[in-house]
Amino acid sequence: MDKLKLFSYIGLIISIIGIGYALIFNLPAWIVYTISIFLIPVFLLTIGLIVMAKPIKDEEEERVFEPFIGY
Amino acid sequence: MDIAALSGEIFGFIPLGDIMLYITPFSLFMFAGALIFTFLIAISKTETQVEAEFGSLEDNRISIDLKEFKIRRFLAIICGLATSGAMITGDLFNFTLFVTLIGILNIGIVSAVKIIDVLDSAFQYGLIAMISSMPLFSGAALILGATGTLSILNLAQIQPNPMVYFGSALILIGLLGESGVAPFYATKAEMFRTPGSPFILIIHLSSLLIITRAIEILLIINTF
Amino acid sequence: MASILINLLIAAFMGTVLIGLQRKVMARVQMRPGPPIIQYVLHTLKFYLKETSFPKTAAMPFYIAIASTLCAIWVTGIIMGPVTQGSLLLIFGIYAMHKIVEHNAGSSSGSPYGKLSCVRAVFSASAELPLFALLIVVYLQTHTMIISDIITYQSINGPLIFSIPLAGIMFFVLLITKSHYSLFSITKGKDIISGYETEHFGVMRGYLMFSESISWYMLLWIYLTVFFGPLSLISYFMGMIVISVIIAIINAISPILNPNHSVMFQITCAFIGIFGSIILMII
Repeated sequence: MDKLKLFSYIGLIISIIGIGYALIFNLPAWIVYTISIFLIPVFLLTIGLIVMAKPIKDEEEERVFEPFIGY
Repeated sequence: MDIAALSGEIFGFIPLGDIMLYITPFSLFMFAGALIFTFLIAISKTETQVEAEFGSLEDNRISIDLKEFKIRRFLAIICGLATSGAMITGDLFNFTLFVTLIGILNIGIVSAVKIIDVLDSAFQYGLIAMISSMPLFSGAALILGATGTLSILNLAQIQPNPMVYFGSALILIGLLGESGVAPFYATKAEMFRTPGSPFILIIHLSSLLIITRAIEILLIINTF
Repeated sequence: MASILINLLIAAFMGTVLIGLQRKVMARVQMRPGPPIIQYVLHTLKFYLKETSFPKTAAMPFYIAIASTLCAIWVTGIIMGPVTQGSLLLIFGIYAMHKIVEHNAGSSSGSPYGKLSCVRAVFSASAELPLFALLIVVYLQTHTMIISDIITYQSINGPLIFSIPLAGIMFFVLLITKSHYSLFSITKGKDIISGYETEHFGVMRGYLMFSESISWYMLLWIYLTVFFGPLSLISYFMGMIVISVIIAIINAISPILNPNHSVMFQITCAFIGIFGSIILMII
């Protein structure tokens, strides 16, 4: 699994644990705010990076590694 | 005016001698925001700016060499730390000092760039920033002379007199020049055409954050 | 935490539907059928499922971090607004950060369109002057900046739109500034492709669109709360729909202004608003 997928899975697990922890237990307000400010964006980003479409194996190099400039 | 009515309940104080720093949700958010952006600047690489070339289908890539990168990153991190300091400080003179420091660093961050238009605009902005440091400091000095204190917590309890209003007006004028709001934004905007995205972030961020903090401080000082 | 998540979902849903409604009304004013009202929801979800790749020339990890920052600041906005009803000054600090994100999302990718949008974002940052002037006027009238206290003030003294009407109009001009396809939207004009969003595509674009829908809901929520006083949920929704429709009509019949004209117009409105309000308060 490449680096992006690995970091996305780690981020997703951490954010789900954090948000679940804040939902279930009665924590002081500032901890809840800190968890939501940092972990909700990480959750949304990592979910997106995990479910995003993947290119066909043959075309992968051409579509992803070609720089956006050039012809 | 009551600080809690302006920025939210006071979480606590950090006593530094006779000046007490106060922590409210507003100052905490700005402080944390400035520090997070400073951290992002410290860990990021710069982008390579791509432009079209005349006369051929090739692209012109402008990237930053290592020496320029190192010095600009250093200056940007110091600017970020100065902004964080300005967000949390409880002392009027410290605030004006941080603002002037931010002005100097803003010029420094773009002066390593080798693009003529950017250097021209940095020079013009630098002139305005240097001229603006005079009303900034003299405003703080007038307020000290009129009330006998520079601590924002103490100034909140003191009935403002005309000298305080005048000093605040001078601080406001100095701030408009240093941070580059209207009408001085016209020259400062050209400074942003340079590559080095994380570094020019801090120029813009520092200006916006110090204006917001200055509004809080001026409202605290001038109302009772 | 549950209230934060519920408010976030309401904000995202209402924001996307309101932006879609705005597009529909704009299209009908221009005598076109227009896209369905849920188009923005469909776009956001579509982009979420599309592949993204990170440009070789981009400033990493800044390029990803800036998109996450937009989401983080608007989650903070939700906490400061509907959940805790905290300080208005903080919410305007969040708007300053939003401007920073617009600026840096553009310059972080290295694309020339992003760079143009970045410089235009700096120009238009000076049009945040109405925002700051507004704070001062509201503070001088109510002697507080805490939203819950402003609501209490309005339940006693009546809505602020009647006591400081010029400030209300100034905020309305600000709402137009922040709306999609507006006459002041120089950072996202089609002459620079998509402006600062150009090189954030696929998942990153969906992410940015999600955060922008929350920001639109929050802006309308703040306007209704600060100027129209304590309202029920239904009144909020009705008020947001009415404001979106009015802004859509204005956007449909006006062209995008040139960057200099856009900024001058906004600064002029700011001056008229603040000095007019102060004069009205003194008289």
